[in-house]
Amino acid sequence: MGGDDLAGVQRFVARAVREGDPSPDTVGTAGRLLRPSPRGLAPHERLDIYREQYWLRHLANLDEDYPTLTWVLGGRDAFHTLARAYLEAHPPRTWDLQRLGADLPAFLEARAALDRTGATLDTTGASRDATHAALDRTGAALDGARAAHDATRAALDALALDAARLDWAFMAAFDAPDSPPFDPRVLASTPEDAWPGARIDLHASLRTLALGHPVHDLRFALLTGAEATRPLAVGTCVVVYRDAAHALRSVAVDAGALALLDALRAGTPLGEACEAAARAGGEDPLDVGARLGGWFQQWTASGWIRGVRASTESSAPSGA
Amino acid sequence: MGYRERHRIPDLGVGVGFRRPHVATVLRDTPPMDWFEIISENYFAAGGAPRANLEALCAAYRVVPHGVSLSIGGTDSLDADHLAHLAALVRRIDAPWCSDHLCWTGVSGVDVHDLLPMPYTRGTLDHVVERVKRVQGTLSAPFALENASSYLEYAESTMPEHEFLAELAERADCGILLDVNNVHVSAYNHGFDPLAYVDAIPADRVVQIHVAGHADRGSYLLDTHGDHVKADVWDLYRRAIRRCGAVATLVEWDEDIPAWDVLAAEAAKARAIRSETLASAPREATWAATT
Repeated sequence: MGGDDLAGVQRFVARAVREGDPSPDTVGTAGRLLRPSPRGLAPHERLDIYREQYWLRHLANLDEDYPTLTWVLGGRDAFHTLARAYLEAHPPRTWDLQRLGADLPAFLEARAALDRTGATLDTTGASRDATHAALDRTGAALDGARAAHDATRAALDALALDAARLDWAFMAAFDAPDSPPFDPRVLASTPEDAWPGARIDLHASLRTLALGHPVHDLRFALLTGAEATRPLAVGTCVVVYRDAAHALRSVAVDAGALALLDALRAGTPLGEACEAAARAGGEDPLDVGARLGGWFQQWTASGWIRGVRASTESSAPSGA
Repeated sequence: MGYRERHRIPDLGVGVGFRRPHVATVLRDTPPMDWFEIISENYFAAGGAPRANLEALCAAYRVVPHGVSLSIGGTDSLDADHLAHLAALVRRIDAPWCSDHLCWTGVSGVDVHDLLPMPYTRGTLDHVVERVKRVQGTLSAPFALENASSYLEYAESTMPEHEFLAELAERADCGILLDVNNVHVSAYNHGFDPLAYVDAIPADRVVQIHVAGHADRGSYLLDTHGDHVKADVWDLYRRAIRRCGAVATLVEWDEDIPAWDVLAAEAAKARAIRSETLASAPREATWAATT
């Protein structure tokens, strides 16, 4: 056996291992390709050992990655229903288990969007159904009740998506590349007329999130054993980052700061970035410029700024 | 000249896996331990705590990378990204050797993250020999393959696993990581003689031995790495040491990981068994002990 034959056998085993339950086809093919165990296990029962481990391993991995989402959905059972649907739609495509949950926020968002269009999407049993079961039971056919149900459901969808995005930001920050230490004296030594055209390098671990709920407080409570309460729907900008001691942290920032960080991370020169930040915050660029010194001081102390690439080819003067 | 001698494989003594619950203790106290094994893939990233912890670990101990995702028996192309990361890790920590498993882990771009067994045939042997040679061409340290625990057998297999592994090692000129717990588990699950398996492995190619705990699930044994090493496995270990001599040994404990003192005591037990066995079979062990 080699080449195509071997690939065919491996495709069968890999497919069988990922099944929720063995299909009749699997049982039949296993009987042809595999030997029964001398301890009395049929060929497909031997595959069951790998199947059980496949789900245990991957669900446990996602459990660890998504503590806030798990809480928002109502606990581990509900999360596992979602995670199983996710793994069926997005089977692992990398050796890197750290990246297993990378597409979960997008998966969650796509499901919510489909729900809003009234599509029937849950062929595998959605966590949302479990989460909203109580609502469904009380949700009478009355239009008013249905509308309230839909609104509640949409609110929970939004909260779940925020939680998923936050949890994944922590995962992404965990092992992002290290950056060389930054000497804050660079800030003082950069000529004033070079600032508008300067590009600011940020730490690779930095993740910016514009959220509809302060889920970072919820996550902090969950991981520190404090009392966890459902966050209110309040627009919140959050930065997730890894500090000098490699601890993962999150901090709320205002909308202007978040927009500035986003623009800087995209490689936008500081002058233009400030203008973008002003637009995002509904502020005058000069006001943003006035706050820049404080932000830079704080961001340098937090290790977010890792380099300043000054350029004499500056853009038009701004508030910087 | 044997494989270990040719490649100057050192006898590192008895070590344990570097696992998260013990990171703080190990890096803060640097307790006595001959060496540590790391899961290669956990240290591929370019930053963060794992990388910093590994640097600190390497400053105090010898460290050997042990992979779980190479998929040497797979039919997808070898993952160039994975191989590049592995080669860089081996160089970065100046590893005396590195290892992975005789298995496949995925197909058609899907990774199931398990150590799935091969059909043991002439055709698959040719296939794996070729892939091992290609892997070795990218690495700056000797490469060894471990016999994995398995729970299924293919109807088309035409040779026992030990014969496949021995011939693979000879033809590809690679080392062997002999996991005596895996031999015990697979022997129970498939009904072969574990003693014959250990006796058939080319002793000079064994660069490392694993011992670990397993769980009895009635109709099969499960390789959990979640308990003390069982008596039958210690017996196999003695047999392997008598055959192979002073080979670096690692106690694996990856589930229900105990306090550091418990793990260190298990390593001390392995060290004592190894010493007693070597003392009782000095002639067989002489050449290896001097490398």
